Amino acid sequence: MHLHDLTIKKFHEGLKNKEFSAFDVAKTFFDYIETRDQEVGAYLSVHKDQALKQAELADIKVAKNEPLEWLTGVPMAIKDNILIQGLPATAGSKILENYKAAYDATVITRLKSAGAVFLGKTNLDEFAMGSSTENSAFKKTRNPHDLERVPGGSSGGSAAAVAGHMAVAALGSDTGGSIRQPAGFCGVVGLKPTYGAVSRHGLIAMASSLDQIGPFTKTVEDAALVFQSIAGRDQFDATNVEKTYGEELWNPKLEDIKKLKIGIPEEYFGPGLEPEVVKVMEEVMASLKSLGIEFKEISLPHTKYALSCYYIIMPAEVSSNLARIDGIRYAPVSGVERDGLKLEELYRKNRSHGYGPETKRRIILGTYVLSSGYYDAYYAKAQKVRRLIAEDFEKAFKEVDVIFTPVSPTVPFKFGEKVSDPLAMYLSDIFTIPVNMAGLPAISIPAKIKSGPPSGRVSLPVGFQLIGKHWREQDILGIGQFYEKLSA
Amino acid sequence: MSDINKKSLKHLADLAHLELTEKEEEKFLKELESILGHFAELESLDTSNVAPMTGGTSAKNVLRGDADHQSSLAAAPVADAFPDKEKGYLKTPAVFE
Repeated sequence: MHLHDLTIKKFHEGLKNKEFSAFDVAKTFFDYIETRDQEVGAYLSVHKDQALKQAELADIKVAKNEPLEWLTGVPMAIKDNILIQGLPATAGSKILENYKAAYDATVITRLKSAGAVFLGKTNLDEFAMGSSTENSAFKKTRNPHDLERVPGGSSGGSAAAVAGHMAVAALGSDTGGSIRQPAGFCGVVGLKPTYGAVSRHGLIAMASSLDQIGPFTKTVEDAALVFQSIAGRDQFDATNVEKTYGEELWNPKLEDIKKLKIGIPEEYFGPGLEPEVVKVMEEVMASLKSLGIEFKEISLPHTKYALSCYYIIMPAEVSSNLARIDGIRYAPVSGVERDGLKLEELYRKNRSHGYGPETKRRIILGTYVLSSGYYDAYYAKAQKVRRLIAEDFEKAFKEVDVIFTPVSPTVPFKFGEKVSDPLAMYLSDIFTIPVNMAGLPAISIPAKIKSGPPSGRVSLPVGFQLIGKHWREQDILGIGQFYEKLSA
Repeated sequence: MSDINKKSLKHLADLAHLELTEKEEEKFLKELESILGHFAELESLDTSNVAPMTGGTSAKNVLRGDADHQSSLAAAPVADAFPDKEKGYLKTPAVFE
């Protein structure tokens, strides 16, 4: 067993055939994390005692010859905005530094009952707001492929944990690309499910009309396995619908896949795309064509408005969701002297001290677009534009089954490169945002790059994105699995 | 359409229970101006016959039955997170003077 090529599938086979114990694998991961994570910085906290106990339970199941689920004993990393009872859930913010989760998120309950092992909680941009994990209040996470570069964000810790072989799989959350963009930057698979497929109960809410939880894995097949186990109806999330998925997700048939038509939206391949990314996209398309899949050019004409639309709707929801994070309900804020303060003053002190600049900027922007006199010009307008963006996809999906795009316009950038210019940073999510606006499922898959990198630089990952129809995760996962088989 | 200035920024911060330092004010003013300027592109788009999309999908809310149920949430850890308590009650500074 070698950590570097351990997938869920391989782990499962190995555990079943008693090649190793879940306990030994978990211990090996912790040993590796101890050294490797000093340079990568994927984890905010590791929870060895609890994880080893979970691993023992998996080993007892094996000893008793009980049936094992796919995730039994699998060492996983969890983004630190998802609650695991009794463990910290900082959301990358000083305002929640002292908070311990009072209950398990529904996704955690499901993973626990499947027997998964949680190694620790991973770093993120504060409240999942950012594209580089540089907005974390606690630490820097580095891209395991090049430590001078960002891992992407906001789920940068989860992406780096899987890419750096410090977890077999991880969970993240995706509001405008926060799973797919870091997956692309770190060279792992990241899936954002259909809006409503996975319960967000126990996810610290950012923008509720956009948020979804999804997996980071080393293979598309693994993403299917994690997704299937966390999806399904939960009464604690009123947007979560009755829809169950099965093995069609990880057992695709080539004859079905060949019948799918892939659309190439012209708006996603214009100027602003790095030549290196263009070249890689062409290589991937050639591979997919070799499977016999037909491609068709399509248009999503309102794409260019998606960024503005998103940066009105998202901050509006952020300003509302974060109103309750006041340094009182969820543990006190370190460094704030409470004595003698009136209630309003205490709120102000807690929030001003506890929130970082990006969070404050978005709260104020959200408050502005919702305020009397500006509501119609910004928020109501953006909601209408959002419908136009969603309708673009609806029309396109009458002609094609899946849409192919790059994940990001650039390769992973260096630390500090975009911090001083919020708009430039926001542009990193230009290809992922429209998907959330329309509530569609999409996957980021690392391209198997045949051409070398530009001279003087190491080879960096480039991801491609497959967008599916609502509830058709099986189409994008199916194409992805055959793409991986081609290059295996 | 944007007319954000120092005074309106202060008002917004106040509404959001935030105190901004002089430096933050200056920085945010500049950044917000540039972000709001970007939003101007939406004005050119005719949306007079478009219904607003108010949620993640057009799917309806899925509500549970209107019956009592046992909460899975234990009260103790929630109360423990609170900074201050007195005689079993959660305590904050006075709301009214």
